[in-house]
Amino acid sequence: MTLANLCAALIALPIAFGAIAFLIDRTALRSALVVTGSAIVAALSMAAIPAFGGADSAFFGLPGELEPGAALPAIEIALTGLVVVFGLYYRRFLAPVLALTQLSISLYLELSGRLPEADPGRLFWFDRLSLVMVLIVGIIGPLICVNAIGYMRSYHRASPMLKGRRNVFFAILFVFLSGMFGLVVSNYLPLLLVFWEITTLCSFLLIGYTRTDETIGYAFRALNMNLVGGIGFAAAIALLAEQPGGLELVELTRGPAGAALLPAMALLALAGITKSAQMPFSSWLIGAMYAPSPTSALLHSSTMVKAGVFLLLRLSPAMAGSLVGYGVAFVGMLTFLFVSIVAGTESNTKKVLAYSTLGSLGLIVGCAGIGTPELAWVGVMLIIFHATAKGLLFMVVGTIENRLYTKDMENFDALLSLMPRVSTLALVGIAGMFIAPFGVVIAKWSAIRAFIDVPGAPGAALIVIMAFGSSLTIFYWGKLLIKVLSARRQTDYERSIERRVSRYEWLTEAPLALGVLAVTAFIGPISDNVIGPWALGAFSVPPRDFLHMAPAMVLFMLGAVMFLPAVAYWSWRHPAYDHADFYASGRSAAPSHVMDAALGGIRRVTLRNYYMDGVVNGALAFRAGTATCGLVLVAMLAAGAMGL
Amino acid sequence: MPPIFYGLLFLALAPIFGGLVAGADRIVTARMQSRVGPPLLQPFYDAGKLFSKTSRQINPVQEPLLLGHVTMMAVTGAMLLGGTDLILTTFVFALAALLLVLAAGSASSPYSFTGAERELIVLLAVEPFFILMMAAICKVTGASTYGGVLASPKLVALEIPGVLLTFLLVAVVKLRKSPFDISISHHPHQELVKGLTTDMSGRLLAYVEIAHWYETALLAAFTVLFFNWNVAAGLAAFAIGYLAEVLVDNSTSRIKWQLLLRFTWTVTLLFCAGNVLALFVLGV
Amino acid sequence: MSFLRRSPWILHYDASSCNGCDIEVLACLTPLYDVERFGIINTGNPKHADIFLVTGSVNERNIEIIQNLYRQMPDPKVVVAVGACACSGGIFARAYNVQGGIDRVIPVDVYVPGCAARPESIIDGVVRGIEALEEKRALARRQRGENTA
Repeated sequence: MTLANLCAALIALPIAFGAIAFLIDRTALRSALVVTGSAIVAALSMAAIPAFGGADSAFFGLPGELEPGAALPAIEIALTGLVVVFGLYYRRFLAPVLALTQLSISLYLELSGRLPEADPGRLFWFDRLSLVMVLIVGIIGPLICVNAIGYMRSYHRASPMLKGRRNVFFAILFVFLSGMFGLVVSNYLPLLLVFWEITTLCSFLLIGYTRTDETIGYAFRALNMNLVGGIGFAAAIALLAEQPGGLELVELTRGPAGAALLPAMALLALAGITKSAQMPFSSWLIGAMYAPSPTSALLHSSTMVKAGVFLLLRLSPAMAGSLVGYGVAFVGMLTFLFVSIVAGTESNTKKVLAYSTLGSLGLIVGCAGIGTPELAWVGVMLIIFHATAKGLLFMVVGTIENRLYTKDMENFDALLSLMPRVSTLALVGIAGMFIAPFGVVIAKWSAIRAFIDVPGAPGAALIVIMAFGSSLTIFYWGKLLIKVLSARRQTDYERSIERRVSRYEWLTEAPLALGVLAVTAFIGPISDNVIGPWALGAFSVPPRDFLHMAPAMVLFMLGAVMFLPAVAYWSWRHPAYDHADFYASGRSAAPSHVMDAALGGIRRVTLRNYYMDGVVNGALAFRAGTATCGLVLVAMLAAGAMGL
Repeated sequence: MPPIFYGLLFLALAPIFGGLVAGADRIVTARMQSRVGPPLLQPFYDAGKLFSKTSRQINPVQEPLLLGHVTMMAVTGAMLLGGTDLILTTFVFALAALLLVLAAGSASSPYSFTGAERELIVLLAVEPFFILMMAAICKVTGASTYGGVLASPKLVALEIPGVLLTFLLVAVVKLRKSPFDISISHHPHQELVKGLTTDMSGRLLAYVEIAHWYETALLAAFTVLFFNWNVAAGLAAFAIGYLAEVLVDNSTSRIKWQLLLRFTWTVTLLFCAGNVLALFVLGV
Repeated sequence: MSFLRRSPWILHYDASSCNGCDIEVLACLTPLYDVERFGIINTGNPKHADIFLVTGSVNERNIEIIQNLYRQMPDPKVVVAVGACACSGGIFARAYNVQGGIDRVIPVDVYVPGCAARPESIIDGVVRGIEALEEKRALARRQRGENTA
């Protein structure tokens, strides 16, 4: 199958599956369709590896060399129409205003003929970065869709008052995948914008799935912030329409952008920043945590937010060295710092995962803004490792949430004893996120090395931010790890909790855990064959040796990552352990942690993590971050306007 | 000699060095209190005794985690001297310290858990410094390995005095000496009983002691990094610094964790980050 | 080489003592007697201790505590009852709440008489306790050897 046909299938098939899923009411039949569709999408994505071969870049158009013609404006009008309808129905008027603004820019360009002709053979651009993104979206996305089958069953059983619209849910999940595939292979900017907006609308519909007042509010917040980015995108296209080189992404990002192109670059960067929820636009991602967990897994680990950083990485060679680039870099790094502070004050596990995602994205944005091949390498590494580990973690936290009926990590006491298998999977995810020397830490290490070479005060500032931010991540992950690793004797009821985890959840979470380990083990080949060549090519630098991983180091890394899960596995295999009493000043504490207290009373032992009470006010820190990054963003846009 | 040889040497000799330092610590403390104090080899006798006791373990994960802790501490030192990148070594160091926190926190008992939380705060307090320290050293000397720094013509301590000053403070925190002994103390009767190690007995406690010896040796190795022109000068500086720390230990009382965090971070920001900024801006 | 002899750690527990014997125990730690010379550390944690030094007598409230602390100590361990109250209840033996000496609750290896016991006696008792500790360790080793033989 040629690459062009493969991409066309990747974009078209999920929409077809989504449409069929929408029409099926019977859960069993629809679940079978979801599983089949997911398998097909995953297989097609993996077929991209041989189809792409060893080439550097491939360009192609629609099948049969069709011209997009009026299709793009038509789709845009349809999407805007949907936003207007929803906005009016829920009486949120900002969204329709924003959407109509963006539409008017696009239509004006179309109708006035100012939009240059698109080259029908170069609508799409597939290079190694696209391959990485296709694999991430195409493997992790379907896993999450299948996982959602099991999750949604428990979710709806726990909330019978919610009207079940699972056919809509799964339909949108598939359309979402389609939008992502289109986004990562598009070369022609207006085409990219259409896919961009599809993902915006899908995230709106998924966040607002339960249609409660709270989630509707958060859904509209996500919609509004992403529409602001979309307006920036459309305005950038308007500015670029005048320039030579047209609207092809590959042309725009061949090298550092001149002063004429920088304003458009700044606006495109704005779109990337809103999509990846960097501060000051972070509140939409935090609000999206109120959606069902598969939504969070899909949106916040493997797909939607990756679209934003993907665009920024593409723009990295163009922004390199300019004030726009530095502005973007600092927006990212300051986001990383502030969300890491806030994460230490939060006990809701999904929110901690969300803040951690924002932090990782901030790191990628920081790397993209500075713009050297090493940092671009770091950015892609972070994308890969973060997508796999965080996708796994969201799915696992969803499973835990459904079984323990809580999201608060303070209630995860003795998780290792309550749900040993799930704990093992969670530990793979957490280890993947931050335990040295796994991927994310390799990336942080490489980033620090690269920041050392950035001259002057910015270099110092970046390293200082990295040092403090990185330490804060140890703090909040450490707290979660303590809870996951705590163990005590189980009661019989507690032993039965894990049996109720559905097979869909096992069948998707276990393979992804193996995926995390596989990516660690194969970091060398991935770097040498895919990411290294891409980074060097994007910056037009002749081939040279990148971070070389000695086999001993890879083995060590693998061992370090597997250590905690192995400990968990070993402990669960020895359930009949003779647990001695813990020290409680001589008082006996029964296995279930009940103590004799003073005056003949009985007390339950509760252990609570530190949440920085009295030292840091989480809400205040979040607002401070929003304000600071808002200022940096304004400075970045001003620099772009002035062509610096 | 190839660097790996130094790494293996560290694995073998560091516990002996750390144990002797710990013994000297107790003797000096005793003399300060007008006592005679134990023999110099007392820490080794303690460890030997601990291995001969049965251990009453309260859950199955403590032992593997503590074995991981002592192994990683040893490996960190071996990596450091064995020629691994300095910044990567810092991350491995943090992991080793974290494993102790996890071992104590898994105990689900009030004293251990609180000790674990406080140790996590200690980690949070010192980690920014170690990353900045290594970044500054790499920037100043242009080298990225231990051997490279020792071979560099630049005199690290004179180039980055602010970082050295912060190192003295952070070493006191990392060695868990008063007033920063919030999570564990070698002196009896603290408000957390034995804090981190409350529910560890027998050989588990021995692992913690041995890891602490490796950690002491690591801090000595870090000191030598600052005095990179002469290893003996570095070790002498370590000895003097350690003596000063014993004095501070015996004359101060414990502070709250909030103050520890604020104080350490303020000093790190002012002296260490300030030094790094000067380093970058003045283009050394 | 036996390390137990060189590093015996003490858990000092005040059962229902008037604190007279406790002050004498603490006096052993002071520069005048300085038991740290012998490697003795007063650890407040049963899991770290070899020698359980108990003062005061047993009453209803502390039966459970004494047993709990004794259970938490890892083997080999010895118990030293310090002072008349710990040995037999002392002058409070007939009081309505006093059950008697420590040996009502846990096996005692060494009895140190006195009211209050002098530091020299206490140190002597601890040294006897160390010898008992050595015997127990040797016994345990022999038994382990027999089991595997």
